[in-house]
Amino acid sequence: MTKNVDYIREKARDTKVIRHADVVVVGGGPGGIGAAVSAARNGADTVLIERYGHLGGMGTGGLVTIIPQLCDYTGKQQIAGITQEWIDRLITRNAVDMPKKEHWGSLDKELVRYYFERSFFYTRLDRVVYAALIDAEISKIILNEMVEEAGIKVYLHAWGTEPIMEGNHCKGVIIESKSGRQAILGKVVIDSTGDGDLFPYANIECETDIPAHFRIANLAVCFWVAGVDYKKAMDFRKNNMKEFMGLMRKANEYGGQGGFMPSNLPDQESVMWFHSRYPNKSQIDVEELTRVEFLGHKIAGKTIEFYRKNVPGFEKAFLVLTDPQLGTRSSRRMVGEYQLGKKDLSDNQPFKDTIAIFPDLDRGQDSLDHPNMYIPYRCLLPKNVDNFMVACRAFSSDLDVQDYFNLIPHCIAFGEAAGAAAAMALQAGVGIKNVDIKSLQKQLVKQGVPLPDVNKKVDHKYEGPALVGPSFTPPH
Amino acid sequence: MSEKKTVREPARDIKVWREADVIVVGGGPGGVASAISAARNGAKTVLIERYGHLGGMATGGLVNIIPNLSDISGRQHIYGLTTELLNRLDKRGGTSYTKKKDRGSAEEKAVDYYLDANLGWFYVRKDHNTGVQRVLYSAVVDPEILKDELNDMVLGSGAELLLHSWGTQVIMRNNAVRGVFFESKSGRQAILGKVIIDATGDGDMFVAAGAEFDNDCDNKRRTAWLAFVWWLTNVNLKKFDRFKASQPEKYKELMQELGKLGGYPYFFKGILKSQPNTVWYHCMQPQSRRTDAMDVEQLTRIDIQARKRALITYDFMKKYVPGFERSFIMLTAPQLGTQGGRRIKGEYTLTEKDMETDEVFEDTIAVLANNDYGEISAKHPTLCVPYRCLVPKRVDGLLVAGRAFSSADTINETFNIIPHCIAYGQAAGTAAAMAVKAGIESRKVDYKELRKNLVKQGVNLPDVMKSNGTVQSATTGRSKADYYQKYRSTGE
Repeated sequence: MTKNVDYIREKARDTKVIRHADVVVVGGGPGGIGAAVSAARNGADTVLIERYGHLGGMGTGGLVTIIPQLCDYTGKQQIAGITQEWIDRLITRNAVDMPKKEHWGSLDKELVRYYFERSFFYTRLDRVVYAALIDAEISKIILNEMVEEAGIKVYLHAWGTEPIMEGNHCKGVIIESKSGRQAILGKVVIDSTGDGDLFPYANIECETDIPAHFRIANLAVCFWVAGVDYKKAMDFRKNNMKEFMGLMRKANEYGGQGGFMPSNLPDQESVMWFHSRYPNKSQIDVEELTRVEFLGHKIAGKTIEFYRKNVPGFEKAFLVLTDPQLGTRSSRRMVGEYQLGKKDLSDNQPFKDTIAIFPDLDRGQDSLDHPNMYIPYRCLLPKNVDNFMVACRAFSSDLDVQDYFNLIPHCIAFGEAAGAAAAMALQAGVGIKNVDIKSLQKQLVKQGVPLPDVNKKVDHKYEGPALVGPSFTPPH
Repeated sequence: MSEKKTVREPARDIKVWREADVIVVGGGPGGVASAISAARNGAKTVLIERYGHLGGMATGGLVNIIPNLSDISGRQHIYGLTTELLNRLDKRGGTSYTKKKDRGSAEEKAVDYYLDANLGWFYVRKDHNTGVQRVLYSAVVDPEILKDELNDMVLGSGAELLLHSWGTQVIMRNNAVRGVFFESKSGRQAILGKVIIDATGDGDMFVAAGAEFDNDCDNKRRTAWLAFVWWLTNVNLKKFDRFKASQPEKYKELMQELGKLGGYPYFFKGILKSQPNTVWYHCMQPQSRRTDAMDVEQLTRIDIQARKRALITYDFMKKYVPGFERSFIMLTAPQLGTQGGRRIKGEYTLTEKDMETDEVFEDTIAVLANNDYGEISAKHPTLCVPYRCLVPKRVDGLLVAGRAFSSADTINETFNIIPHCIAYGQAAGTAAAMAVKAGIESRKVDYKELRKNLVKQGVNLPDVMKSNGTVQSATTGRSKADYYQKYRSTGE
């Protein structure tokens, strides 16, 4: 089909400025939360702009209610900070499930089997790892509390659509909302839209190619099913494995979805979680987003129809909800001051400007040889704009790095570093590119972020037992 | 402070994504009906919706109730697309409703049955002629199944759809709207069209077009408030019922305490027959000052506050109320519940007077059951809505479908809910397609042809020639406080 590529002239106009701030964060997902909370706690007058009526992005509205990959294979926790704070607040509300701390890193076969059956995310590399399944609704409230306590000015139901550029400087952003088109000006602008929505208008270099075989090439339409007799379903599965697998296959043939995971949360024994993959041309193409929404809802409906009729334990099941936000996995990747790439996946030396450590767990033997990924501050900085940062999955990375390290805890970590850096730069009266790295690292450590000794050479050689389990990319 | 009040945005060229006949902005009940009707009547139609699903308040707002389809005598007035939709849902077990034989019944057994059924209050109204309660035709729908059915209906009609697309600005040619700008992950783009139907609920498009509108609303009205809707499930309702029946004083005391803590003491039992153990909190958010569903700062403040109150409620119920020990928050509505806002100043503005005169307009496009005005309703069981309520006074190329129709705030409070919006949409979409076909402005559409077309689509319309002038007008003394009592009592 040939597309109409006509243009229409939009007149110049004066757009009302409704706020002046130090730091403007666009997008209230994990990256935006990390950025805004960290900036505000470090003394910056901070604005957070969110398109939906809730915070948390994929972690809440996307029903991707999992914060995985928090410890390395030895069981050492490497991601903490604001991520841990979110989880701690969930713990006090009894709204989270995770492996016990003393089990992290354990190779005990019984334990590994137990946790694997509980959740696909609780084991990696023959070991128990730290991952948290979270309650989406309670999380929305907790995140609201966190931003309120930090004194952040939040705009919900507001879509940050464009940066206001003046040469290589970003003066603020345009928002669209029920109040119309308005402007918010700021000294530092942080793009936490997940998709680098501000890049094109700011002429920030980025890559958008994602070959189909990558995990991140897929969209997701997650949904929840309740009213399930889980024990009955699992007993049936245990005693009739072949028949059960046949049913899952038939569910797919019927137009539904085979395979599901239990919620695991307290009192939610009857809730199942359906996670999915939808190939697409691009996750920033609104036509593709529309197509997949239709398909996903269709499949959700077919799924519940099939399961109620055919799968023991699902007789009284019902569809609780389909995700209010479409599950997006990746689109634009900035080409910034430093682009994390394939070669970094086998390099065990920390960067001088490391601002986060990400456990590497999904690559089999390669992960055992390279247990952690170090993230340099430069991954958050574009080449051209002097007061702009990225704190979301659009960080500067190549496809291979992006495929493994763009999950919720990673984004919070980008945000936590970006927010702190922005506030510190403003305080010191310097540009964000000239922020004192040592002070930034010191501040992050004070906030509970584990960081390496960047001056010490890491000498890692894997000496544990040979890998038994498969090495594959998990479907998260 | 010498800070700047505005920023200058330079002129620029925006990519035209599509050229269409009819552009519908907003995929709620009004927008969906508009798009389906326009497309079925042969117009090249595009529907754009801000969220990832269609249905607006009926799905994303968790206001999954289609009430007042009949008057209290049980006589059904709303048909058309609403009937089609309910039939489709019924086939999939996606709706609950009062049985046909019970509609209009004042029999105690029937009334009690429905009062105790899911969302009981919506099934029953008081008959002011006799003082007894009667069963209405109202339906409750499954929002998730509804999303899928709406998708199918829109696609089946041939309309083109963009989700995750926020229509923000109109493109004007002199005095007429001839397109919209919208924002999405694909950036700012334009759609050009001949008729634009504003189904945003809040009149986002007619404001942009500079059309005259009315924003006044008594702060005590339902429509002046926002609502935060959420569901609790895994409730042992039998245990709860036993507790409430055996210790009514204790229950009352607990609810008073919850109210004092800032929680929500009222909820509806059961939503759908397929969803046992679930309760529905429809929490009105009355404000001390006039709220404005169009003020993003207020939306934010109220959303955050309402969510906090939901948590207070949840914690309290779980801790103190038998039956709720193992409950959990199933979901909060993805869309904040907006109930009213701007109303277009149309070629005709419906007021209470029209209810009392039983006016049958020559351009009547919908007949609505009038159940919520006490004695007036008893004397005047229906209200006719003229097409002119959807036509802005001055601006061409624009129709309004949805709760922003031209009406006084009194009328708007009662006749702006889901089945009404579907009816307005069906008329607007049909009229838009007819205007495009005839090459005329939509305000010039032949009323008789429009009515004929709607009747052909299954819409229930009065025979204007027969009815006109034969209905006696009547006036009734009324106490204001009584009229809206029903709606108020759900939220307070």
